[in-house]
Amino acid sequence: MALPKRIIKETERLMAEPVPGITAVPHEENLRYFDVTVDGPSQSPYEGGTFKLELFLPDDYPMTPPKVRFLTKIYHPNIDRLGRICLDVLKSNWSPALQIRTILLSIQALLGAPNPDDPLANDVAQRWKEDQNAAIQTAREWTAQYAKV
Amino acid sequence: MPEERYIGAFGVTGWATRSGSDLLKHAERVGIERTKTQPTTKRGRGGKIVSVSSKRQDVVVRFTNPRGEEVGRLENEAAAWVSTLLDQQICKFEGTCVFAPDRVRTNDTIYLQLRCFMLKVAFDSGGFIKPSESNRQAGIFETKETQDERNLRLRQVALVKLFDEINLHPSKVNSTTEKHKRQGLLQAAEVAEQYEKQGATQGTKPQSGDGSSTPPSDDAEEGEELEQDQLDTLYKKAQSFDFDTPEAEPPETFAMELRKYQKQALYWMMGKEKDEKAEHKQMSMHPLWEEYIWPTKDVDDNDLPEVTDQPTFYVNPYSGELSLSFPVQEQNCLGGILADEMGLGKTIEMLSLIHSHGLESESSDPLNGASVLDLPRLPRNSSSVEPAPRTTLVVAPMSLLAQWQSEAEKASKSGTLKVMVYYGTDKKVDLQQLCCEANAANAPNVLITSYGVVLSEFNQVAANGGNRATHGGLFSLDYFRVILDEAHFIKNRQSKTAKACYEINATHRWVLTGTPIVNRLEDLFSLVHFLRVEPWSNFSFWKTFITVPFESKDFIRALDVVQTVLEPLVLRRTKDMKTPDGEALVPLPPRIIEIDRLELSSAERDVYDHIFTRAKRTFNANVEAGTVMRSYTTIFAQILRLRQSCCHPVLTRNKNIVADEEEAAEAADAANGLADDMDLQTLIARFTADEEDANNFGAHVLTQIQSEKNDECPICSEEPMNEQAVTGCWHSACKQCLLDYIEHQRGKGEVPRCFNCREPINSRDVFEVIRHDHINEPDSPTIFRSDASSGTQSPSISLRRISCNQSAKIDGLVTHLKRLRREDPGAKSVIFSQFTSFLDLIEPALTRDRVRFLRFDGTMQQKQRAAVLSEFTNRKKGVVLLLSLRAGGVGLNLTCAKRVFMMDPWWSFAVEAQAIDRVHRMGQESEVKVVRFIVSGSIEEKMLKIQDRKKFIASSLGMMSDVEKKLQRLEDIKELLS
Repeated sequence: MALPKRIIKETERLMAEPVPGITAVPHEENLRYFDVTVDGPSQSPYEGGTFKLELFLPDDYPMTPPKVRFLTKIYHPNIDRLGRICLDVLKSNWSPALQIRTILLSIQALLGAPNPDDPLANDVAQRWKEDQNAAIQTAREWTAQYAKV
Repeated sequence: MPEERYIGAFGVTGWATRSGSDLLKHAERVGIERTKTQPTTKRGRGGKIVSVSSKRQDVVVRFTNPRGEEVGRLENEAAAWVSTLLDQQICKFEGTCVFAPDRVRTNDTIYLQLRCFMLKVAFDSGGFIKPSESNRQAGIFETKETQDERNLRLRQVALVKLFDEINLHPSKVNSTTEKHKRQGLLQAAEVAEQYEKQGATQGTKPQSGDGSSTPPSDDAEEGEELEQDQLDTLYKKAQSFDFDTPEAEPPETFAMELRKYQKQALYWMMGKEKDEKAEHKQMSMHPLWEEYIWPTKDVDDNDLPEVTDQPTFYVNPYSGELSLSFPVQEQNCLGGILADEMGLGKTIEMLSLIHSHGLESESSDPLNGASVLDLPRLPRNSSSVEPAPRTTLVVAPMSLLAQWQSEAEKASKSGTLKVMVYYGTDKKVDLQQLCCEANAANAPNVLITSYGVVLSEFNQVAANGGNRATHGGLFSLDYFRVILDEAHFIKNRQSKTAKACYEINATHRWVLTGTPIVNRLEDLFSLVHFLRVEPWSNFSFWKTFITVPFESKDFIRALDVVQTVLEPLVLRRTKDMKTPDGEALVPLPPRIIEIDRLELSSAERDVYDHIFTRAKRTFNANVEAGTVMRSYTTIFAQILRLRQSCCHPVLTRNKNIVADEEEAAEAADAANGLADDMDLQTLIARFTADEEDANNFGAHVLTQIQSEKNDECPICSEEPMNEQAVTGCWHSACKQCLLDYIEHQRGKGEVPRCFNCREPINSRDVFEVIRHDHINEPDSPTIFRSDASSGTQSPSISLRRISCNQSAKIDGLVTHLKRLRREDPGAKSVIFSQFTSFLDLIEPALTRDRVRFLRFDGTMQQKQRAAVLSEFTNRKKGVVLLLSLRAGGVGLNLTCAKRVFMMDPWWSFAVEAQAIDRVHRMGQESEVKVVRFIVSGSIEEKMLKIQDRKKFIASSLGMMSDVEKKLQRLEDIKELLS
């Protein structure tokens, strides 16, 4: 299947004007599949880490949202052990007006603003609520352990 | 032939005019005589014609006994015509007394038998008895008939009555005119008589009794208009073109290729000009004549003296003329009417004739006898008319002069044909000097002028007391040939232009016209008169045999006679003609038919499915109950609805159909326990929601929308957007992207929301942005114009509600039309649908998209139709014609279009093909592309299959009985609903 114009354009723009702290490179054999890195936002427990993600554009993209998953282990109430992300714009709040770039920025923002009230990793969320500082500490450690290049 | 010859006998009664005994006995010979051959009329002092009373006495025929004493007179009815035969020296009568009382008293009845002998002198008169030399102008009976005409009429009647009495029937007549002949003749005579009486009683007010239905206004044309079907019949006969006509090759000097039918025309025209009597002459009897066999036995069964070599004689009951020799149908005019339909190349055909005949270097043309006998010479004196033996005069409407000139030059190898336009300032030449025989080598071969010039020079000549040679103008020459192009210009014989053209002298005379008869038989007369075809060019003759019968409603006879006039004179081919092998005269450009399969929107599909289910249920229920045949109407109505719902769901609510069908359906529904189609009602309501004006929005909204017009589509990244559309919250995307997204969300059972602001979208509040940048129709209302801040005039836009209440077919059509408008702005299209109500729905869609359209359907008056067609043909820019499949009518010519859209399939493709052929026919110069809209996965696809099987063709050809047809259709319905 030919690649829709939209995907080509998005890819070109990601290459030409990369977002600071974010990279997205399509696989050569499958241009709908992207290797993504997101830098942890500053003043967050993830600062200094570079997180790897995979991003896949389904056939009916942009009618349906891209599928995104963290590959790097991360300690975050909205990201589970398998790297799945709980983010409205990836689910019910998806709109075809959103793009790879905006989705990745949303994910980066999610790192800066964890939302334990809408958890995906329940244990992490629980801890985040009970002892936020400890939780943040763990997150820092995980970052140092898994997300340092 | 002896001085007299027996022809028959008849009984007649007489009245005694005196009393006495033994005046006359049985079997005695009786002399028949006119008291004195009084002139039937006599001139009064003021040139007035004699009173009615004297005419009555005129017919008295007396009879005498063997002693020469007058006994009595024939009773009036017989006397009326016997007297004519005697007076005009046609017959002689010998009487025998059958019965007379012994004692005769005045007024007693006496029975006689009369033996009639034709006189030799009657046959000697020879030639046509021309009723009148002058071509009388005005209405039919507005002046009294002349003495000649009156004699002719009396003679006609007398002969017919005589043959009737002696029971002599023609042995050979023209079959087509046979049955109408005598009756018509008498009728014509009687009509004439009535008018005569009327004229007499009204004194000198002949104008009022002019007998025609036309008002006596100045520009009124005489004669009744022909009905279309009468014209068709006439033309059909004139068009019986023989495809085996030999061809003639044009000479070397002719530079163009002729098509086969054009070479045949050349052959025919050369034949007409050369008039070679011996060759190729069919020895058919003149259609107005009848052949009679001389009796061999008399009334008493005695042998009559035989006359060798003369078993027959001939009578023309129309002219009252008698002949002993076979009257050949001949034509004495050297020329004719070339009436090929427009586009077949009349001009080229004529030019090939000019090259083929008349350009020969020697002027040894035997036909040009008059000029050949005289040696070339300079004009003798200024008032004479000089022959122009090399010149063909072409008279054409002013607008065609240049075209004639260029065609003539294009058709000739250089230097072979001298062409000259005689118009305006070019007129400052002495034509007589230029074209006369002495100057033949330098004379123009083709002289082209306009009707206007002919008229103005005619007026000059007339003002000069008929001196034709005045300053060497058009009328100072006797041309080799004259051609009137677009000759219906002279259809009114009373017009000055026509009269001027009649006065042009030429050996060979031609008229070119696509419509020899525009709407009156008299149109043809004018042409015939110009061509000088005897005897028809005489208006009295024409009147008696064509106008009078026609106006007395004896159409068939009148048209038959016209036909005999036309046949040898006219060559007419139409673009529709096919050779016997089925090939067109001129090969047509290709015709490409493509099927555009459309998907119904889900809302449309809902309606369709609903109707489909219901129809199927009804059908199955009826099959089970064995009542299929009875509920045929119901089922068929439902099939109809199904087909309509493929076009537009609203159609199924069409009042007429609903009324028809509801009645039938109600009973069935009740039986099947189906509720009223409330569901359907709601489904369709989506399509009928009234369209509020989508343009009641503030200018700022439109400005914003317009500013986004070049942005890329947020959904597909197309830049600029493909058919920009906006949501009710004014966010733009491609129309298709937006609709797809809404559809996608619905499909997931979600409320559609804006892709941008996530506001819920009311599906009716989706608008298409219409730009008016490249459609500069002055009549289109400007909804929004100009962006003040930009300082430049920016194209205006307007919004149009898309929602979902458009039908897939209308969308498809509009898409095609818009693409066509972009790619080929001048192209014209024709749109066919069998549902006029569907055309009604297409109209607003076209209006919204500023597609210029015209409408043609069965409800329109003839005049309106003509106006629509002419506008469609003449409009310079692209335009669309909406046509109902059935209203197209015979002969509709839409060759100016090159696209055809068939909105819905018919049961048999033949009907659709016929419609397409209105565009794809002779005269079509470009490829014709036909798009047939078919809804995929619907009854329409199945109809296509049925079309392929051609079942319905058989039934429409009448090859099945009604019951068979129904059965066949039910089979098809079963398939349709499978």
